[in-house]
Amino acid sequence: MIALGGLQIAHPVLNASGTLDALSAHAVLGDASLGCAAHVTKTITPLAREGNPAPRITEISCGLLNSIGLPGPGIDRFCAEVLPATAAIVDVPIVVSIGGFSIDDYALLADRLSPCPAAAAIELNLSCPNVKTGCLAIGSDVGETEAVTAAVRARFARPLFVKLAPGLADLASIARAAVAGGADALTLTNTARGMAMHRGTGEPLLGARTGGVSGPALRPQALAAVDAARAAVDIAIVGVGGIETADDARDYLAAGATAVAVGTAIFPDPGAPRRIAAGLVTP
Amino acid sequence: MELTEVAVAGVDRLGAYALVRLADDVPVGPPGTFAMVRDPVGAAFLPRPVGLFRAADGRPAFLIDPSLGIGSLARAERLAVLSPLGRGFVLEGAEVARALLVAGGIGITVFAGVRAARLVAGFRSPEHAVATSLVDAPATIRLAPALVTDDLDLDGIAVVLASGPAGMVRAVAAVAAAAGVPCQVALEAPMACGFGACYGCAVRLDGTWKRLCIEGPVVAAERLT
Ligand SMILES: Cc1cc2nc3c(=O)[nH]c(=O)nc-3n(C[C@H](O)[C@H](O)[C@H](O)COP(=O)(O)O)c2cc1C
Ligand code: FES
Repeated sequence: MIALGGLQIAHPVLNASGTLDALSAHAVLGDASLGCAAHVTKTITPLAREGNPAPRITEISCGLLNSIGLPGPGIDRFCAEVLPATAAIVDVPIVVSIGGFSIDDYALLADRLSPCPAAAAIELNLSCPNVKTGCLAIGSDVGETEAVTAAVRARFARPLFVKLAPGLADLASIARAAVAGGADALTLTNTARGMAMHRGTGEPLLGARTGGVSGPALRPQALAAVDAARAAVDIAIVGVGGIETADDARDYLAAGATAVAVGTAIFPDPGAPRRIAAGLVTP
Repeated sequence: MELTEVAVAGVDRLGAYALVRLADDVPVGPPGTFAMVRDPVGAAFLPRPVGLFRAADGRPAFLIDPSLGIGSLARAERLAVLSPLGRGFVLEGAEVARALLVAGGIGITVFAGVRAARLVAGFRSPEHAVATSLVDAPATIRLAPALVTDDLDLDGIAVVLASGPAGMVRAVAAVAAAAGVPCQVALEAPMACGFGACYGCAVRLDGTWKRLCIEGPVVAAERLT
C-alpha cells in the first residue's frame, strides 16, 4: 500500500481527471476503473454546465488539444446520482475533482461532498484553461490559492489534493500556499493553454479558440513542475502529463512524485493504466 | 472489450478511396456502429473512428479517404482496433426492405452489406462514386453539384437512413420530416476515445451538447436541434 496524502492506494497509478468516465467505461468496455488504484472523477462544478461548443478536440504533434469546458450535471445531481452509481461499480477509492469560479463555489462544493462517504478525497482543480474565470485565475495567485484551499480544508476532513497548471511563473510559491491552506497532496499538472489553426480558413480549429495541450507534448513541462514543487514542499505529489509507459511514470517518480496519473494515453489504449502499473512492479 | 492488435491483410483501391482489409477477425458491430483504429507504430497519437464492415471475403474491412490526412492508416502493417462501439441503426426486419438509404461521400460505408429498397448516393467525382459498389441496393448516383435531396423519392419508403456530412444529413432529415417518414441519421464528430471518456465528440442533440460516441453515431433525426 502507498500513502498518497492520507489516501491508501494499492499501487501508484491513477487516472487523470476528465479522461475516464467510469459509468461509460463500465457500460462500453466492461471495466470502470481500468486498473487504476484510485478513480479520479471529471471536475464537477456547482451548477450544470453544457461545456464548450464543438469542435472540442484536435490532434497536435505528439498530443491532443482540448477545449471541453467542464460539462457536467452540477454538484446536486452528481451527489444524488453520479457519485452513488460510480461507487457501485468502482472498487477503489474515489477522488472527486471540483472546480468553480470563486472561493465560495469551492466552499459550497466541499460542503456538499463532506457528508458523502464515497468521496474518499477531493482534488481542487485550480488549473482548467478552458473556462473563462475562476479556476486557473485562482490557482495562479498565491493568496487566492491559500484561501481556497483553507476554505475547502475547513469543510472537508478527508485527503485534499490541489491540482495546478504547468507554466506558472512562481510554482514554488503557489505550492507553498496550497500547503499553508492545508493541502495533503499536489497534482501536477493540468494541460497547458494552446491553440491550433485551420489551415484552410485561417480560423482557430477549436470552437472555443484555445484549448489545453495534453499528451507527450506536455511531459517535459509537467516533469519540470514536479521537480520545482518537490524542491519547495514536502507533501505528496501526483505527477501527470504525457505518461504513456512505465518508464515515463518512473521519470516522474524519480523527479519526486509519489504517484502518477494517466490521462490522454487512455484514449488510444484503455489498457494503459493497467500496463503501466504492471510495468512499475517488474523493472 | 479490449484493444486488439491485428495484421492488415491488404489495401485495395476503391475508386478514390482505400479499402483496408484486416487479416484477423475482430468483432464487427451492426451497420452504423464504429471502431477506433490506430497504427501502433505510426506518427498519429490518437485513433480514428471508422465504419467497420465485413468485406466480400468475410473479413473485417473499412474504407478511408486518403485525402483526409488519415492516409497513413492505409500504409500500416498492423492496427490496434477497439470494436464494436456506439449505437447503429435501429431496424426491424420488414423495415429494412422498405428503407431508403441516403449517403454522402465516405458516409456510404455504414451501409455496406445493407439490403435496402433503394440507395441515393452523392459524391464529389465519378472516382468517389465507385464506392457505391459496397451497397446491395438499386442505386441512384448524384455527382456534385447535384444534391442527394434533388427529386428524393420517398414513395413506398418506411424509413430513411442517412449518412454523410452534417449539412447533407440535416437536409435529408428535413425532407423526410416534411413527408412524415421516420428518419435515422449517422453523424460524424472528431473522436479521441470512442468510449465516453474524453467528451470531445460533442454534437448538438436534444438542444444541448451530447457525446456522439455514446448517443450515436446513429440518432433519430428528431434529436437534431
Ligand atoms: C479531454 C480532456 C479532459 C480533461 N478534463 C479535465 C478536468 O475535467 N479536470 C481536470 O482537472 N483536468 C482535466 N484534464 C487534464 C488532465 O487531467 C491532465 O491533467 C492532463 O491531460 C495532462 O495529462 P495527460 O497528458 O496524461 O493527459 C483533461 C484532459 C483532457 C485531455
Ligand atoms: S470520443 Fe471520447 S467521449 Fe466520445
